[in-house]
Amino acid sequence: MDENGSRLKWAYQDHWRRFGAGGPVMPWTSVSELDRFIKQIAAIGFTGIQTFDWNLYAMREMFGSTTGFEKFLQERGIEQVVDLFHARSYDQTGSPHLRDTHDTLFEECRVIMELAEGLNVQNLIVMPAALYPDVAPVSDDQIKAAAELWSRVGEMTLQYGVKIGAHHEFFCGIRNADEVEKFYEWSDPRYVHFFMDTAQHVIAGLDPVQLYNRWHERVSGFHFKDTHNVDVNDDYRKRPDSELMAPTTPRWFHEMGTAAGLVDFPALVRAMREHGYSGWVGVEHDKANFGGNYAESTAISAWYARNVLEPIYEGRA
Amino acid sequence: MSERWGYAINQWKPNFDFFTRREQHERAFKTLSAAGFRAIELRAGTGRWEPLGRPEQVAANFGSAAQFLTYLNSCGIDGVSSLWWDPGEPNHEEPAPARSPLTVEDHAGIVESARILAQFLRDVGGTCLVARALPAAWRTGPLSSAQLDAAGACWSEVGAVTSALGVSLALHVDFLSPLRSLEDIGELLSRTDQELVGLALDTAEVSIAGIDPVALAKQHGDRVRHVHLKDARDTVGGEYLVPNAEKHVLLGGGERRIERWFWEMGEGSVDIRAVVDALRAHGYDGWWIVESDQSPSPPESVLLNAWTVQHVLAPRSGSGR
Repeated sequence: MDENGSRLKWAYQDHWRRFGAGGPVMPWTSVSELDRFIKQIAAIGFTGIQTFDWNLYAMREMFGSTTGFEKFLQERGIEQVVDLFHARSYDQTGSPHLRDTHDTLFEECRVIMELAEGLNVQNLIVMPAALYPDVAPVSDDQIKAAAELWSRVGEMTLQYGVKIGAHHEFFCGIRNADEVEKFYEWSDPRYVHFFMDTAQHVIAGLDPVQLYNRWHERVSGFHFKDTHNVDVNDDYRKRPDSELMAPTTPRWFHEMGTAAGLVDFPALVRAMREHGYSGWVGVEHDKANFGGNYAESTAISAWYARNVLEPIYEGRA
Repeated sequence: MSERWGYAINQWKPNFDFFTRREQHERAFKTLSAAGFRAIELRAGTGRWEPLGRPEQVAANFGSAAQFLTYLNSCGIDGVSSLWWDPGEPNHEEPAPARSPLTVEDHAGIVESARILAQFLRDVGGTCLVARALPAAWRTGPLSSAQLDAAGACWSEVGAVTSALGVSLALHVDFLSPLRSLEDIGELLSRTDQELVGLALDTAEVSIAGIDPVALAKQHGDRVRHVHLKDARDTVGGEYLVPNAEKHVLLGGGERRIERWFWEMGEGSVDIRAVVDALRAHGYDGWWIVESDQSPSPPESVLLNAWTVQHVLAPRSGSGR
């Protein structure tokens, strides 16, 4: 806690899987697997989770209700589901740059809001545009179309108490400085918020600290994750996929606290402190199982958060 | 009084060529620190692929015991709690052959080895030398009273040396030991100096051997100087007498092909909470060392065990997170 009583609370973005006797197992396969997962992240100081909205169906099936799941979390030391990731695969039936699909996308988000009632979710995280090659060449009108969609959706989600947080994957259609600037200029600041994923911006060649200083009033949440590579080969343009299948880079994402990490987390936390950010910060390292281990990556992140970032935020370092 | 909790790091090194690199150590130590374990138990080893196994290897890799301690601190670990050692394992550094406390001619060598390890422990802030009490039963056969006398005398002599260095001695009984009952354990303990020699109670090892760890804690709680907390699902039955049981039974799983003897707390049938309660009732003030020993995913074992420590065993002030 800093001198003003502000503090950071750490939430974990769930991509977890462990290696069981039969191969990889994900937490949402059974209550006992969720029990193992939740206990592990609670043991290292996380008090919130971020998960994918498709798990809302499993949540109701396994626990009867969203509040039943929240009780399960709280019994194990986790306060709440902080954010939901709406990872829609965009296509001709729904894509932010295609205005005639906006009603479909809007309705899908409304259904999610109804399913999430009772959870006190802060953000519905969305990729604001389709894959870059599906949008390219990116035009101002396409960015305006996306801004219109998410302004409209954000007004609706806010009625459920949930903000729309735009999460700019390095391979999406709104990714560079000019596109990001236009998107936030043209979207309604009341309804469209910036959900910063530190690794995605660095891979795209942007500085998360500059972005945060520019848009801090719009920032509603974070994924603190690291990368060892900037996309210098235009992998973001490549079909069919650049996230898992880029020819140059088999693994883009890493946990905080590795020697080769490119994200300047201390500088970002200093900026957050200066701008008075307080509350939840998400920690993510998707694909940690590529040559690694989720439990270890999560613990290393937690160590870095507690031993490096909290002292900076609290003015002790 | 504050309880002292730590974690045995042997799970990261199932074989001699694992866990040799500095970055592997760093990730393991930070994992432990993040989970609230701020002290580690080392396992004695030998040779250049055991950088944490002996004082000579620590010096070769870190410069000195003090520099090793500084390195641990940089990872969020306060220090070393203890060191597990089997005098039956030879080492290149002294050098020392395999020795047995049952063999009187080996006693002087065992005492000298213990002195070296206790000095190292003292230098890294450790307070307990955990020694394998006896060789495996398949080697010893049934023990005579004279053999137990010899072992007791050996360990009393070792205890005197370590005690003078500020390090306690605790005898670790494993599931291959010729000690198969509360009475057997009592027989050995009764032949040692109770001021100088204690018992290391390993909840899983004795349970696999068919000994009730809760009864052991209650009956011999006043002699317990060290604890290993881990869970178990199976008992070894008569297979502890299989020749080379360390290989064929402990690692190979024996006739039932048991893939894993040792489990995270709560994943087996040992009533660990009852053991802890019994020892607390005895006023136990040694280290509580959590251990996995065998794990397909050491970090996962740490995190699961940490949750149990924090939420089930509820350490008293000054420990855990």
